[in-house]
Order: sequence, then C-alpha cells, then structure tokens
Amino acid sequence: MSSDFEAYEQDFGTITAEVTNKIGRIPKLSGEEKTQLVLNVDKQLEEVRELLEQMDLEVREIPIQSRPMYSSRLKSYKGEIEKLEKDFKRSRIAYSDEVRNDLLGDDAGSSENQLIKLREERAHLLDNTEKLERSSRRLEAGYQIAVETEQVGQEILSNLHSDREKIQKARERLRETDANLGKSSRILTGMLRRIIQNRVLVFMLGAIILLTIILAIYFNLRGH
Amino acid sequence: MAKNWCAAGNAFSQAANLHLQMQSKHDAATNFIDAGNAFKKADPQEAINCLNRAIEIYTDMGRFTIAAKHHITIAEIYETEMVDIDKAIAHYEQAADYYKGEESTSSANKCLLKVATYAAQLEQYPKAIEIYEQVGTHAMDSTLLKYSAKDHFFKAALCHFCVDMFNAKLAVQKYEEMFPAFSDARECKLLKKLLDAYEEQNLEAYTDSVKEFDTISRLDQWLTTMLLRIKKTIQDDESDLR
Repeated sequence: MSSDFEAYEQDFGTITAEVTNKIGRIPKLSGEEKTQLVLNVDKQLEEVRELLEQMDLEVREIPIQSRPMYSSRLKSYKGEIEKLEKDFKRSRIAYSDEVRNDLLGDDAGSSENQLIKLREERAHLLDNTEKLERSSRRLEAGYQIAVETEQVGQEILSNLHSDREKIQKARERLRETDANLGKSSRILTGMLRRIIQNRVLVFMLGAIILLTIILAIYFNLRGH
Repeated sequence: MAKNWCAAGNAFSQAANLHLQMQSKHDAATNFIDAGNAFKKADPQEAINCLNRAIEIYTDMGRFTIAAKHHITIAEIYETEMVDIDKAIAHYEQAADYYKGEESTSSANKCLLKVATYAAQLEQYPKAIEIYEQVGTHAMDSTLLKYSAKDHFFKAALCHFCVDMFNAKLAVQKYEEMFPAFSDARECKLLKKLLDAYEEQNLEAYTDSVKEFDTISRLDQWLTTMLLRIKKTIQDDESDLR
C-alpha cells in the first residue's frame, strides 16, 4: 500500500517539477509554442489531479495509525498543486519583460524605472539652470567692471588732454624764452665787441696823442 | 612746519607788502600765494583775501593762466570750507574765461563743467544746458575726449528734462544726429525709457528703469538729485490728474 503511495509521490514530484519549468517558460514564448506549452501544462495538471485522487484513496485504505502522516503529505501536495494552478493562470495572462520591451522600445520599463529617470532628468536640469545663473551673474559683474573702467578711462583721458595743453603752453613759453635769451646774448656780445672796439680806439688815440706830444717835443728840441 | 599757520600766514603777508613797496611785483605775488596756502589750513577767509590780492597782481602783470589757477583754488575753498556755491560759481566762471583767453580750452572746459554741475543743482537750467552742449560738441571732435562726450550729452538731456519733456525729446534726437555713437550708449537707452515712462506718467516704470541702470553703474549724487526732481514732477502730475 505505502509503496504505491510512494510511487505516486515520485510521479507527483516529477510532474510538478516539469509543470513549474514549463510555467516558467510560458511567458517568454508566444504564438504556437505558447499554445502548445499551455496545452501540455494543462494535461500535466490533470494527470497530477488524478494522481492526487488516487493518493487520497490509498490513504483511506491505510490503517489509522499511520494515516495522519500520509494525509498531511497529501494536504501539502494539494496545496502545491493549487499554487501551481494559480501560477499557471498568471503566466498565461502576464506579459514577460522581454515582450514588453519589444513592444515599447527602449523607453520601456516599469513605472519605477520611469520615476527614477524623471528624477535624474530633473536634477540634471536644475544643475544646468544653476550653471546658467552663475555664468550670467559673472557676466554682469564683468560688465560692471568694464563700465567702471570706461569711466575711469574717461577721466584719465580728460586729464591727459588738459595736461597736454599745459605742456604745449610750457613748451611754447620755453621756446620764446629761448629765443629771447638768444637775442639777449647776441646783444651782449655786440655790446662786448663795441666795448672792445671803444677801448682799442681809446688806446690808439692815446697812443697817437702821445706820439704827437713826443714829436712836438722832439721838433721843439730840434728847433733850438 | 610747526603748524603755526596763522603766524606763518601773517609773516608771509608782511613780506609780500614789503615787496610791493619795493616794486618787485613777482615776489610780492608769490608771497601772497604762500600766505594763502598757510591760511587755508587755519582761516579760510584770510586765505581768500590773500589769494585775491595775489590774483590782482597777476592780472596786472598779464599772467592770466596763473590767475586762473588761483581762481580755481579760491572756488574750491568756497566749495568745501565755506559752502558758498554762488561765489564758487563766479570764481569758476572767471577762471574759465581766463583759460579761454589763453587758449587752453581743455582747462576751461573743466571749470565750465563744474559751473554747470552747480548751476543745475541750483536749478539754473539754461546755463547748464548751454555749457553741457558746448562742451559735448567740442569733445566729439577730439579723439581723446570722444568717450566723455556721451556723458555730457546725457547730462544736458537730463537738464532739458527737468525743464520740459518735449525739449528733452528734441534734444535727444538732435544729439543722436550729431553723434551716432550716442544712441548705443546705455545712458541714451535709459533716457528713452525715462521719456516713455514720463509720457505715460508711469511711476513704477520710471523707478524700475532707474534701478536697473543703478545695478550696472552706480548713480552719483548729482544724477540722483536730478532724477529725483524729475520723478517728483511725475508724482505731482499724477496727483494733479487725480
């Protein structure tokens, strides 16, 4: 009796393993293969149910002492089958990630992915705005400095202009004084020359007078 | 050096009088100038007296440039120590005349500009307008002074504005014709905005454009006074209309 039960258990184990495998594969497939797999899984699930019924009958025939053990095993198997059936149903209607990606292209992804991407973009844009603001502030500061420089330059230029005039005036005056000095030096040299001439004349006249006096005395003495 | 300015000043003036008696005008004048400088630190009135006497001597001798320079010194004393704007203006004008006589237009312009600033402060607008326009036209031709020309036109237009708005509009147009670069200047743009705001009697637009200009280049005392006057006229007009 129990060996039958164990044989049933083994069958049960293998079939459930296969069914889980196939259920895992179903969402990734589509079309022909999918329908075939679905049919396969259906058939296997039916086999499993029949197995469970037979196991139930077996358990009833087991003497009462060892029944609880077998009946609890049976209950757990039933629970497993129900779970498998639920998974099966879900896999038939659920989309797999790959199909979804194919449909929606690169922007696909769950809503969580989208949120993350939006947040990233937002941070990026905020960064950009901040950079723009910083650069515009710097530009304004630079412009201010340029304007100030222009004003300072204006003042300097007007100062330069008036200084230029002053220097020009000073140069002209210098040239005038130079010319005047030249004239005065010429006059002075002229005066000097005349003085020398006068002195020479005076000396010559003096010499002539002396000569005449000496001649006069000489002739006088000769005349005696 | 011992900071006995009064005593030093007195000593200098005595020396100068002695020089006058000896008929050496040059030395007398120099000593009067020294006395003036000494008194500047202590007693402005005495300083002004000494400087005036020195100027008389110089003008007698025909040395107008130096006389003009000392007129400017006296005017500065009036400006700072004694705050007598009228006399200061008179002296600046005198100095400008002397400079013009000596063909130093640049120094003359400097004095005239000061005259114009004070005249505008005292609300003698026609005089100020004339001076600014004259200086502006003169500056346009010189390569060195080109960059200050727009400043002069701006001030002239502001003075026009204080008198009458339409004058200001005509003036701005005239200046643009004379001086194309004027229209690019920020000041010109400010003027146009102010004119528009005035036409619409819009006080906020006026204040906004003034504030905007201020952020870029600070408005100095004179400009703020003039702009405030114009603003008051807008306010008065608004209250009149109401």
